[in-house]
Amino acid sequence: MNEIIKISNLSKRYKNIIAIQNLSLSIKKGQIYGILGPNGSGKTTTLSILTGIIHEDSGSFQWFGNAPSPNSLKRIGTLIESPNFYPYLSLYQNLKIIATIKSYPDSDISRVLGITNLLTRKHSNFMTLSLGMKQRLGIAATLLGDPEVLVLDEPTNGLDPEGIAEIREIIIKQAKDGKTILIASHILDEVEKVCTHVAILKEGKVISEGSVHALLSEDEIIHIVTKKQDEFMEALVREGLVKTIEKVEDEIVLSLAKGSSSGDLNEFAFKNGFVLEKIEVSKQSLESQFLELIK
Amino acid sequence: MRKLLQIESIKTLNNPGFRIILALHFLLFLLVVYVFTRIDITAPGFSTKNMFMFPHVWEIYAWIASWFNLLFLGLIIILLTGNEFNYKTVRMQIINGLSRNEFLSGKLLIIFFIAIWAALIVFLSGIITGLIFTKDISMQLILDKSYMILIYFFQAIAYMSFALMIAVIFKSNALAIIMYLLYFIMIEPIARLFFPKEVRPYFPVKVISDLTPVPEFLSITSNSTEVSGNNVLDFESIGLFQKALPLHLSLIMGVFYTILFIAISYWIIKKRDF
Repeated sequence: MNEIIKISNLSKRYKNIIAIQNLSLSIKKGQIYGILGPNGSGKTTTLSILTGIIHEDSGSFQWFGNAPSPNSLKRIGTLIESPNFYPYLSLYQNLKIIATIKSYPDSDISRVLGITNLLTRKHSNFMTLSLGMKQRLGIAATLLGDPEVLVLDEPTNGLDPEGIAEIREIIIKQAKDGKTILIASHILDEVEKVCTHVAILKEGKVISEGSVHALLSEDEIIHIVTKKQDEFMEALVREGLVKTIEKVEDEIVLSLAKGSSSGDLNEFAFKNGFVLEKIEVSKQSLESQFLELIK
Repeated sequence: MRKLLQIESIKTLNNPGFRIILALHFLLFLLVVYVFTRIDITAPGFSTKNMFMFPHVWEIYAWIASWFNLLFLGLIIILLTGNEFNYKTVRMQIINGLSRNEFLSGKLLIIFFIAIWAALIVFLSGIITGLIFTKDISMQLILDKSYMILIYFFQAIAYMSFALMIAVIFKSNALAIIMYLLYFIMIEPIARLFFPKEVRPYFPVKVISDLTPVPEFLSITSNSTEVSGNNVLDFESIGLFQKALPLHLSLIMGVFYTILFIAISYWIIKKRDF
């Protein structure tokens, strides 16, 4: 069974606000799938529907090839926004509640507290933890029972750089262990470093989806230096080879039209007698891709 | 069932608010019982000491304890349920695979065990006091009217189911407590006045509170009206005193309302986005 999550035409509306609209996604086993989008784009709503805390208005989704049920949720480790625990209970007692719901042995509690460096605080009350520790406990809860899938919504929210690095390390370790991870984040650098696949949401709709590699190579940025700058720019536009083109100081900075490659551009220059003194290809960061898409 | 009990026991027994309210419930009930037993008023054909003899002790204790049901046990359930919404722990449990049905069942289990605890206190207090104050003890005398403990137990469940529904509707502890108390003190008593006399005894709080009525030997108001036959003192017609339904009818209506409160709670929990 290869497909872990299949979402078909999912929609949700809060009074007059459309949170998500006909959202369809498919997440396969072993993928580290990032959901990106500005605030209010529907990331948390999507994950909340998938994890049963809110109801969809229309559409459907499947977990592990079956209709969603509390039993399918027991196979998933989930952290939605900030972790929700009983403030007056100890870390152990809070995790014991989850372990009991999922029918996992108590021995697993110490294991996950060890992974998240919280073992020494095992008997401290949740309310005494720092923000970073609370977030780590949230991650610990998702790891209980070594689930096949992790669903993480803004897992580094509100953390300092050190806390972010710690959480990222844990996620990368889980990814290396072969888990399927669905992660919603607005920290693009994080998604770029961790994810294999990404979907970008805007106003509740998927505006771009695919592997991170494909998405990033889609828009190669090419820097060219030539003596006949204006003529070359005109020729390229006439030929339809470029998507965007501009002059930046003594360089031409362009992105290629779909189906064109830097080789095509080089060949075109050679055939038309343009001498290229410099041709440098750089990839756009996910951040610039993202910002361009959500414009 | 065992799993739910385990989960609820971790949440409930370690909750400082729960411990304090339950301890207050226990201590204040014992204090009230102690003070009542120290009162010695004797009139021709009446002595307060008689209240603590079998079988009257069951009626008087069930009646006294019913006020504690309303105040303390209802508040405990609002606190325990409201906390789940305030701390958003209901979300945490659902995303980890607890069904909404199981969530509600957990709360009903707690209600059941708290009701057992409350009934046990009344039963033990009644047995001890009855044994102290009754001169000629027989098993028949002890058992006579001891069914009041079962009725008290059911009344506790009914009050707590009502509190559960209020907590589920309002989510916030403070708001739920205010609405719960307002309903008892103002909303229903005022609402009853707008209905014909025959309908008034069928209101939920009236039905539930009438399960443990004022013991006959204490219902001076109703007796005095009947004896005087004075229309000016006809409290029932002006809504200040309303006759209770017969016990069996109160029980049937009580069961109906309890099921209704639980069904409403279930429906809201099932439909709500957390």
